[in-house]
Amino acid sequence: MTETVVVTGLGVVSPLNPEGDLEGFWTSLCAGETAVAKVRSFDASSYPCQVAAEVDRERLGTYGPEEEPALRMARVAFTQAIAHADIVLEAYVPRRVGLVVGTVLGGTACGERYLRAGGGRGGVMAEGLEHYPLRTVAAHLARQTGCAGPVMTVSTACASGTDALGIAYRRIAAGLADVIVAGGVDAVCELAFSGFCALRALTADKVRPFSRNRTGLALGEGAAFLVLESERTAAARGARVLGRIAGYASRADAFHLTAPHREGRGLAAAAAAALQDAGCPADDIDYVSAHGTGTPYNDAMETFALKAALGGHAHRVPISSIKGALGHPFGAAGAIEAGTCLLAMRDRIVPPTANLEEADPACDLDFVPNRARCVGVRTALSLSAGFGGQNAALLIRGGA
Amino acid sequence: MGLPVRVCGIGVARSPGDEAGERAGFAGRVAEAMAAVSQPGAQVRLFHVIEEAGVVAARDALVAGGVSLPFGGDAIGVVVGVEEGIDGIKAEYFRGILKDGPLGASPIAFPFTTPNTIAARIAILLDLRGENTTVSGGNLSGAQALGLALENLRGGRCGEALAGGVTWVQPIFLDALAVVGSSESGHAGWGAGFLFLKSGATSAGNTEGLGQLLGYAEGVGKNDIRDAVQECLQDAGLAPERIASVRVASTSDPRSLVEALHRAGARVPILQSPSCFLYAASFPMAVAEVMEQATDVATGPVLVVGKDCLAGAAAAIVRRGGS
Repeated sequence: MTETVVVTGLGVVSPLNPEGDLEGFWTSLCAGETAVAKVRSFDASSYPCQVAAEVDRERLGTYGPEEEPALRMARVAFTQAIAHADIVLEAYVPRRVGLVVGTVLGGTACGERYLRAGGGRGGVMAEGLEHYPLRTVAAHLARQTGCAGPVMTVSTACASGTDALGIAYRRIAAGLADVIVAGGVDAVCELAFSGFCALRALTADKVRPFSRNRTGLALGEGAAFLVLESERTAAARGARVLGRIAGYASRADAFHLTAPHREGRGLAAAAAAALQDAGCPADDIDYVSAHGTGTPYNDAMETFALKAALGGHAHRVPISSIKGALGHPFGAAGAIEAGTCLLAMRDRIVPPTANLEEADPACDLDFVPNRARCVGVRTALSLSAGFGGQNAALLIRGGA
Repeated sequence: MGLPVRVCGIGVARSPGDEAGERAGFAGRVAEAMAAVSQPGAQVRLFHVIEEAGVVAARDALVAGGVSLPFGGDAIGVVVGVEEGIDGIKAEYFRGILKDGPLGASPIAFPFTTPNTIAARIAILLDLRGENTTVSGGNLSGAQALGLALENLRGGRCGEALAGGVTWVQPIFLDALAVVGSSESGHAGWGAGFLFLKSGATSAGNTEGLGQLLGYAEGVGKNDIRDAVQECLQDAGLAPERIASVRVASTSDPRSLVEALHRAGARVPILQSPSCFLYAASFPMAVAEVMEQATDVATGPVLVVGKDCLAGAAAAIVRRGGS
């Protein structure tokens, strides 16, 4: 590793800020607002669970009437991140500018429309399918910016956003690029909703991470992008530094396709490896952004993992999950949560775990219930876990 | 110039032909793989042929590289490339919902609609607990997997890596995507190709293995092939005249591809890989062909090139033999 990697821009689109207003997102999140409500993007009336956290698509900026929701959200978040970084990507050598996008569903909503219309059963009905492939968002954003450096789509289930940031961090650190815009995006669709419903993983009302009465996750949607640069490049243009990516690691549970390892084997290993990558002792962590989906197994597993990775410090550090507020936006989750860590550092406040109503003996750490807390955060750990036993951890340090 | 890595094992599985013997042969490989990796007394049933292909090819690559399975550690990283090849499964799953509503949603089929399922299945069955990444770049998916594994090995993120691609190409979305220019038109079929890679630093002498991956690069935009090839040559520290032959790992318009390769400096025979229609699996399979069976490689390094209409181009330089 030769280059220090800094973050100079952040763009977030979530159900709390469909227009991409970053301060609105942060204020709402810290105020404990929640966006989980009745599903609007398709008819969920025949499902036993009928809630999700969706972006108000009427308020979401559009770049063309045909654009698929994931691409629209990605464009808004991407554009906001570039503006926030005050960077002109076109001013760089195109081969030194890259892009890494995490997504699980890509343009699945397009595929659903295609199949609803009878597509695939004799004859070709391709209208609207152009945004279907997983790599569509990355390809469109690359064209939009003219970047010709490394462009990649990562799909590691719910860890996609964190892995996208981690891969970008490593590429800049290794000198393979000067600037990489990285993040994640996903949109609610019936395919994912029906599957999680069939697995009995969805809540029927609220998401209650780490609460004894937690009943499951709610699908969410959104997009977030971070502008990552080498410290040298950022300093040369006098950029404001929001923070540094100091460590990253991913590990597989190698345990089960849909259930996490009960003691968080992979997540603990990922967190420990990220700390090692950063040369950071566990006691230095001031805040943990937990994966915290609100499912019984995930939250108990994550508690185990935090204790294994952080030792006694796990009982002292404030930990919160923002999925009580935002639901689970899959490929966007890790990127939104990394952004949350940066905002926590900036404002010395950590967002609450919404709907944490009853303490759970199996989740006996400080999960910052329901009210934001003033904490001087210099170093944060952001955790993600997902289907197939994916686990990823990102270590972020303050900019100063 | 980057450090080369060693190709220490390859594993390939593809659609059998019409011969019953070939089909039986593949079934035997699946049974053998499952027997080798399952815990005593446990019965694991693979759900789909794309899973079978992935597990068989991954297992073959690792065993060829001398790895005892199940592995039970985190020293081997896994990078898998997938594309729209899983979308036949998605379509089948969603049609169940269209037909029967929520009751048509199969909790068994649902996990196979997520792109990382094959990588996860490989990790679970072979007990690989290290880094596990799935990338998606259309025809370049397998190439990008190799590229990311190379980065991880060179960066010391892991000492060994399993990298490759899997596909199950079905016409259901493919024809439609080809019409709108979002995917290449191809044949229905399935396949998986994996390479077991080791960094040069893990053993002295650096001559162990089937061959070497000397360089890798990607290109995006108008000059994607030229950029990929030139940067790949640079990465391998080779002048263009050192390349003995070029192997094309995708089905993209062969004439424009050849023209672009000539513009990039290729002045040697250009062959199309017989696996070129296997999308995510095509690139690692083309590399495997060079390692295993090619007759054009005795004279020197081979440039493998792939192209995707959305993701751009990728180039790798490989050399058969350990030195």
